[in-house]
Amino acid sequence: MSSPLKPPEGNWWDVPVDRRESIYLGLAGIWSLLIFGWMSIFTRIGDQNPIGDTYRVSPEEFSENLSEYRENAGETEDGVLIPDGEDVYIAAAQFAWQGTPVQLETGKTYKIHLSSLDVQHGFSIRPEGNLTRQVNLLALPGYEWVIEMEFDEADTYHVICNEFCGVGHSSMHGTIEVVEG
Amino acid sequence: MISALVNDYDEDGWRKCNVTGLDVHRSVENYVKLFGVTAVVALVVGGVFAFTVALTRWEIIGLLGEEAFYRHLSMHAWNLLIFWMVFMEIAILYVGGPMVLGRKLPLKKLAGAGFALMAAGAVIINYAIWTTSQPQEAPLLTAYAPLEISATFYGGGIVFLLGATVAALPFFAAVYLHYKDTTGSLPLVTFGAFATAIIAVQAIVGGLVVFSYAFLWRIDVIGSIDAALYRQLFWIIGHGSQQINLAAMVTVWYFLTHVVGGAEVFSEKVSRTAFVLYVFFINLGAAHHLLSDPVVSAEWRIFNASYAFYGAAFASMIHAFAIPAGLEAGRRKRGLGGGLFGWLTNGPWKNPVFSATIFSIILFGFLGGITGVVMGQLQTNMSWVRTLATVGHFHGTVAVGTTLTFMALVYFVIRVMFLKQLAFPRLASFQPYFYAGAMGVATILLMYAGILFGIPRRVDEVVWNIPGSDWSMLAAAPLITIFGVFAVLAILAGVIFAVVAVVSVFLGKDIEEGGNADLVPDGGYGVGADMEDGDPVHKYDVRGTFAITLIFLATFVAVYVLNWYVLTQLWQIGP
Ligand code: HEM
Ligand SMILES: [Cu+2]
Ligand SMILES: [Cu+2]
Repeated sequence: MSSPLKPPEGNWWDVPVDRRESIYLGLAGIWSLLIFGWMSIFTRIGDQNPIGDTYRVSPEEFSENLSEYRENAGETEDGVLIPDGEDVYIAAAQFAWQGTPVQLETGKTYKIHLSSLDVQHGFSIRPEGNLTRQVNLLALPGYEWVIEMEFDEADTYHVICNEFCGVGHSSMHGTIEVVEG
Repeated sequence: MISALVNDYDEDGWRKCNVTGLDVHRSVENYVKLFGVTAVVALVVGGVFAFTVALTRWEIIGLLGEEAFYRHLSMHAWNLLIFWMVFMEIAILYVGGPMVLGRKLPLKKLAGAGFALMAAGAVIINYAIWTTSQPQEAPLLTAYAPLEISATFYGGGIVFLLGATVAALPFFAAVYLHYKDTTGSLPLVTFGAFATAIIAVQAIVGGLVVFSYAFLWRIDVIGSIDAALYRQLFWIIGHGSQQINLAAMVTVWYFLTHVVGGAEVFSEKVSRTAFVLYVFFINLGAAHHLLSDPVVSAEWRIFNASYAFYGAAFASMIHAFAIPAGLEAGRRKRGLGGGLFGWLTNGPWKNPVFSATIFSIILFGFLGGITGVVMGQLQTNMSWVRTLATVGHFHGTVAVGTTLTFMALVYFVIRVMFLKQLAFPRLASFQPYFYAGAMGVATILLMYAGILFGIPRRVDEVVWNIPGSDWSMLAAAPLITIFGVFAVLAILAGVIFAVVAVVSVFLGKDIEEGGNADLVPDGGYGVGADMEDGDPVHKYDVRGTFAITLIFLATFVAVYVLNWYVLTQLWQIGP
């Protein structure tokens, strides 16, 4: 053994590694490979993956797509959008979630088209009844992210913004009403 | 004050340090003091804003309004994460390089110029943040384009980074000169510092590119800025600078456990391999900040965020064994403690240098390290990112881990370079316990608030009230209240540190000849003196370390499984 303040002497490379250290290093190595493998496999077999197609889109184009989608959508008595089909458009803009409130059904797979019309925003969503079930995605200006979601429980889902987007950011809130499908 | 700057050097400016046994030159020591003192100033400034930020997030108190909150949060982040840490790191490079190698500080003028540029950059950034007014926005740490952030801010970032580069040059020169004069390998501490410096260069290049890009956009030289490109470039420095913190901290762990604890290098081969893994893999990890982003492909995110198959995480797990093993073997060899953990429990626990270092090692691993890997997985990232859990993770790494280590180093420098006794010795002994305890709990509470309640980061109110909405996240109110209490306690512990440090340096009693004998394990002259016996490692049984690291791995597995459980309770997301 030696001091970390002095150059090691002799052939330090060939000094054998302690047995306990070898066992620990083996375990740590196996663990590293396991968690890498699991993450990778989960993209194929798992139900929760932040994966979806991305397209370049200007804020103007995305706004137009959103308007078109709104025109085709139905509406509840309270003015909640009911999408016509599986596509759902949500545009983050200082300081509102355009395209909310929207009503979705459980058991149906939707394609959420997520983008921002100005700066970066954090799309953070959870049902009212269970705050632990929450998920966080990013809305980027210039990009449209199409990410699938299929809800399993009816509830009011709250969307808040958790990426700083300017003074007013903390008021940015919207809802998704999920009803039994 | 003046006496603090005139240690007893011989006519050529050398003295022999009776704690480390190193030959120390005045030029190195003075710059270490300069960078160290400046770092403490930044710590105090950032700490003041920890107070206002915490008392705002404790919404019942709600100290600041929204606009002020973002400004204060930006001051907190830049002064602590960047200025406190980077000024300390330059000091660490000078200790690990020229001081350990027993050289003068080469290129002294560059060290001075680097310092001046860094200080100027820090002042510009503080000014830019503090004078933010609408329609301009505060940068926070990340200054994400295309928010309207002042060009002055980005300019200050460029100046600071250039300064850090210049200030690192004397370190590289010292290593170069060492190789010119001798053949053998570098001492391990120098080797670690060298790895740190290389990682720093990689990070700084990315930082200069991203701040220049944003600066040019803000002064209208380029018409638009791509938000996704900015994020990718930003995280080269944003992530890279954290890896500088990590590598510097690990280097200081080897240094301080040796000097005050009697640790030796358990295996040169293993420890050096781990540093080499850092150099190759650690900056690859930048994409773990883009895991829940569009644009970047899933394959690249997985490969990159797993640090190229966990090359760097594995390296950290290596240090996690090597450092306590070095301490255990070194102390067993000196007959300091038997049994399973006697080597640890018999340590100099009243010495704040020792206690702060040990707490840092343990808490960094258990709080910061494990959570970093868990939130760095593609899928579990979705439940961590941009919530208070993330804030919990990085306070586990930088606020508990690195800050405690750097506090230990400041205490050490006060006694060994300023040659001052610590003022209020009982308070100083107690401080690491208080800070580690309070900040450790605060950190865990942040993680709970994020994972169990999804409380977002970077907002001034959300739990008791969301402006303009009749819904809020009230279920988390008790947790946030307890967090508020522990945050205030942690800040109090920080205040104690600052008071002890400042009073010791400026008003402290000089240390008499031999007055530092209590710092070293043998109570004798220089830990290095009697150790070169080349004992093979297996002579000393490191079963205590083995037990601790097995507990660590078990905790890791448990936290990992729990997080995956929480994730798989979600509805279906993605294909
Ligand atoms: C007494 C100690 C501290 C307390 C109570 C504290 C408290 C906090 C809180 C509550 C936040 C989150 C605010 C939010 O996102 O809404 C925060 C953010 C942050 N803290 Fe600390 N902190 C402390 C020490 C430190 C230290 C020592 C460092 C670095 C070395 C640090 C670095 C940061 C950074 C980088 C952020 C993120 C800023 C951003 O979002 O841009 N903190 N701190
Ligand atoms: Cu926002
Ligand atoms: Cu990172």
